[in-house]
Amino acid sequence: MSAFQELVSRYHQKIFMVILGFLRDREDAMEVAQETFFRAFRKIKGFQGGSSFYTWLYRIAVNMAIDAQRRHKRTPLEFRETMDGAFEEQNEVEKDPFSDLHDKELRENLIVAINGLTAEHKAVIILRTIEGLSYKEIGKILDCSEGTVMSRLHYARKKLQVKLKAFLP
Amino acid sequence: MMRCDDIREVLGAWLDGELRQADAEEVRAHLAGCPSCGEERRQLEGLQKALQDTFHAASTSIAFDSFWRGVERRINQKRFWYEDALGWVRDVWTPPQLAWSVPIAIILLLLGMFSVENFLPGLRTGIPRNNFAAVESIDAFGRNVAVLREDETKTTIIWLYQNQEGDDESTGEKSETSSSF
Repeated sequence: MSAFQELVSRYHQKIFMVILGFLRDREDAMEVAQETFFRAFRKIKGFQGGSSFYTWLYRIAVNMAIDAQRRHKRTPLEFRETMDGAFEEQNEVEKDPFSDLHDKELRENLIVAINGLTAEHKAVIILRTIEGLSYKEIGKILDCSEGTVMSRLHYARKKLQVKLKAFLP
Repeated sequence: MMRCDDIREVLGAWLDGELRQADAEEVRAHLAGCPSCGEERRQLEGLQKALQDTFHAASTSIAFDSFWRGVERRINQKRFWYEDALGWVRDVWTPPQLAWSVPIAIILLLLGMFSVENFLPGLRTGIPRNNFAAVESIDAFGRNVAVLREDETKTTIIWLYQNQEGDDESTGEKSETSSSF
């Protein structure tokens, strides 16, 4: 196994999940994730080592996901259908965490609300929620300060809260 | 001391464990005695849980072999130069940079027009030019000389005249068209 192949095997799942968070479509996410690693392969000589490899890789992935999202913008309905597909597939192997109607409604509305966020707000929500990255790490990936990350997260959550007011406990 | 508005602004960061210890203590103390902010905290925690559940439920593991084949295919695939150029443009012109591109484009356009006007005077740019001739020099040693040059048609007109008292008519006129001026 080559060194690059080793890197791909280590990070492909995480990168795929981050991109899926943006695009919601598994096939699209797969394509963009593969393209991300291809870009990384082409640029790896230019990687200065100033930041950690995964920060650098995430930056490429986030930029490509935002770019892909802009190119083929999907309607909220398509988002819902794709995510429902993801849930149904998940149910085959483990118990559905959203067994009652309220949770299903919350989930559906949450997906629509996330879809309505700006790219910057969506990026901080995804990197924080899916990857559990610190504000410092998110700042490095998005090339902004920790304070900006904190502010973006605050406003992103505020927007989601307003849209989901009727569904939140 | 932080007020409710300040507390709510940093509540998310507090839940994320991203506040400095002193600030975190202040938030904790405030929450203990403020039911309104306590309610806000409960809602935020509910949102966080819903987000985590949604993303977790949608998570799916992908087989490495098929993923790697896709990456490998891209690496081995011969790409046309314009695909690389397009990729470069996409990398460079991401939104923050795009915001700068408008003023930069305007500046470059103005500089370009200025250069064309000054260094390629024969090239018309569609901008109305000043069509007036200008007096360049007047020599008053014995004879009066006036040189008028007009860039647009590359025409130079030289007047030689004697300024006699009571006679202010010009006595000579020479006109030529020359590219040497």
